[in-house]
Amino acid sequence: MIILTTKSKNKKSKLFSSDSLATISLLISFIVMAIFFTSQSEFFFTSTNFANLARTLAVVGISSIGMTLVLITAGVDLSVGSVAALSGVLASMFWLELNIPLPISSLLALLTGALVGLINGLIITVLKINPLITTLASFSIIRGLAFVISDGQTNMLNNQGFYFIGRGNILGIPFSLLVMIVLYFIFFIILRYTSFGRNLFAIGASPEMSRLAGINVDKHLLISYTVTAFLAAFAGLIIASQLGSSAPRAATGLEFTVITAVVLGGTSLAGGKGTLIGTLIGVIILRVLNNGLVLMEVSSFYQEVARGVVLLLALSFDQIRSGFLHLRRERT
Amino acid sequence: MSKVLEMRNICKSFYGVKVLKNIPLELESGEVLALLGENGAGKSTLIKILNGDYQMDTGKILIDGQEVDFKEPSDSEKHGIKMIYQELHYAADLSVAENLFIGHLAKGSGPIGKHLIDWKKVNQDAKKALGLLNVDIDPKAMMRDLSVIERQIVEIIKAIYGNAKILVMDEPTAALTPPEVEMLFKIVNDLKAKGVAIIYISHRLEEVFHIAQRVMILRDGNHVATKNIEEVNSDSLVELMVGREIEERIIELSDNKATAPALEVSGLNKFGSFKDINFKLYEGEIVSIFGLLGSGQISLTRSIFGAERADRGSIKVYGHERKIRFAQDGKNAGIGFVPIDRKVRGLVLDMSVLKNLTLSNWNNLLTLGFFKNKKERAHSQKWIDALGIRMAGGIDTAVKFLSGGNQQKVVLARWLEANVKVLILNEPTWGVDVGARSDIYDQLDMLAKQGLAILVVSSDIHEVLAISHRILTIYDGQLTAEFSHKEASQDLLLNAAAGRLA
Repeated sequence: MIILTTKSKNKKSKLFSSDSLATISLLISFIVMAIFFTSQSEFFFTSTNFANLARTLAVVGISSIGMTLVLITAGVDLSVGSVAALSGVLASMFWLELNIPLPISSLLALLTGALVGLINGLIITVLKINPLITTLASFSIIRGLAFVISDGQTNMLNNQGFYFIGRGNILGIPFSLLVMIVLYFIFFIILRYTSFGRNLFAIGASPEMSRLAGINVDKHLLISYTVTAFLAAFAGLIIASQLGSSAPRAATGLEFTVITAVVLGGTSLAGGKGTLIGTLIGVIILRVLNNGLVLMEVSSFYQEVARGVVLLLALSFDQIRSGFLHLRRERT
Repeated sequence: MSKVLEMRNICKSFYGVKVLKNIPLELESGEVLALLGENGAGKSTLIKILNGDYQMDTGKILIDGQEVDFKEPSDSEKHGIKMIYQELHYAADLSVAENLFIGHLAKGSGPIGKHLIDWKKVNQDAKKALGLLNVDIDPKAMMRDLSVIERQIVEIIKAIYGNAKILVMDEPTAALTPPEVEMLFKIVNDLKAKGVAIIYISHRLEEVFHIAQRVMILRDGNHVATKNIEEVNSDSLVELMVGREIEERIIELSDNKATAPALEVSGLNKFGSFKDINFKLYEGEIVSIFGLLGSGQISLTRSIFGAERADRGSIKVYGHERKIRFAQDGKNAGIGFVPIDRKVRGLVLDMSVLKNLTLSNWNNLLTLGFFKNKKERAHSQKWIDALGIRMAGGIDTAVKFLSGGNQQKVVLARWLEANVKVLILNEPTWGVDVGARSDIYDQLDMLAKQGLAILVVSSDIHEVLAISHRILTIYDGQLTAEFSHKEASQDLLLNAAAGRLA
């Protein structure tokens, strides 16, 4: 038996992995927040408000799935907001200008979104340009194209079927929320139980190790960026459906809300670490924070401030905690 | 015995520079072939060709007499060629079990199940694999929560589990303690008995004599010799590797009758790391702290320098009590510190030799707050000449292109430039080859003669015996014994460092 100097440590890590600990502290802060808002506003803890909340979760929620994948691979995608805007614009343009039936127009918009992701992925893997730079460029290019294609105009999308995506209910539950829940479930399974999902973590932790283990790193990155853009395009359709119109200005700043939610949920910007459950809680926390502040009639300027403060607080706690763990480990 | 691997006339060039010239290699099943050579001799290139990471220009590889063509590492893996790399590649936030089977996690059964990972089976397999080495590591523990040694063990298991036919071990013992090295050798012998052929790369010659049947020596991309282990001894091996003789080191024991100790540590404590540390280090003296890894020595030296903070105790430099809380304090007190992982903490790899040399010594070189290029260059050149730092492209070469030994010298030079009085070195020759190693020893010797007080932390017993005037042993955070150069022997040191002192 090898004399291990650190036997006792293993036992400890069994009780609470740092991952589950992060999720638990996130949940606790969520509950504290909910209690606070309930005490501050009589409207907060009402079914009307919950229905309202549920309807507004899907856009950020669905986009955050893709972002989680990409961040796990140690990448990032800044173009999700632009892709969402382009998707709405394209759906309306295909329909209004080219007279393509709206379902097919929507599908084409989704595919175009996926194509943008594929191109992002190709630039990152083939040209080996840093993901931050690549998607910063496409953030700008795609947003610009949305303006060019729509000529800067907002277009009405007057179609009951299309409205259903963002406004419809099934058994009283918003359709978009149902889609989101299904997607979370599917991607939870993918991340936890498929080689593809697990390989993303390996790639994020060490591309070199992954390559040596026979993992096709480029293929995995391509798929991740494509999926991310596809989901962003879908979020764009939800926005257009909810607004009843497509605008090139839509989803401005979505990428930062999404990154905030994902990071809040414990996914590491350094890659190799993250959970979809964390992301989902992160999304809900941001949404509830926003909703609660609105109900408390806090000015929207302060809401921006609050969002940033919450992010910093969450990460500081995480840092202090891991710093503490690190100190105890320093000896080895 | 059957020939399991044959490499014929392997040639490889990078950008027109021939790094391998007609290298032959033969390997029989159940034997250990030690592959020796200085850094840059072509060992790792040869190995990377074998595992499919690099493509050879010309030559042939035959496995069991069949010619093979490896396009990527996964191809060679299919033929049972497994590697244990010098630098560990692992995913810190994934479990031990997952790290073991990355790329081929066990799947379940059934139409849907066969696409999904069966975690129960993965963990069971991991337990079985860990059982191979009889170690107490929880397969579900995160890699991040393991010690360096445990991580290395996981890496070794990862390589040997499954159908390893040819195992390549690149300096597998670099981070292991002596009992663990023994453990590893036992594993190697087991594998040998099972018919696994092993290519063993190490800079530690005594290991080679212990474990190998044959040695193959490369120098500057040439095949120098392949010999049975009985035909060679340490000296002849070194000569073959370096191409010249390296003299046996004889320590001249200078009398250190300095009035005051250069460094005096008393009552230094840090909870969980070290306890009641008292020692003195005199001017012109090299003192080594020898201990098994994880005995607290690293934390101790870090605390003396200020990279960590001790709980209590006093540190005096030339009689003056110094409050050391940050690295800046250590530096101001005249203490230099060469960390254990120089690549991460000691150098900026992408910066030039010049910039690295002057990195922490801006003040001396500033004129009215600005750098003067000429002055900076002159200063740096002085050290390059003094320490014999060798680099291909001159002073503006990025440090990452230097060999381990020369990198270490750059770190050294930086502290000397800063005019330190006490120099602390952690494992100064890890990853440094034989030739450069004796070079570094000579430098330390010379510096000590000039009055520098040097404190070396090392887990290499030969190194400790070769360079120190005095040796302190550390066990479980406490100094257990002190030996003069004359008194010290391997037995005594090992016993003291294992806490088995009468």
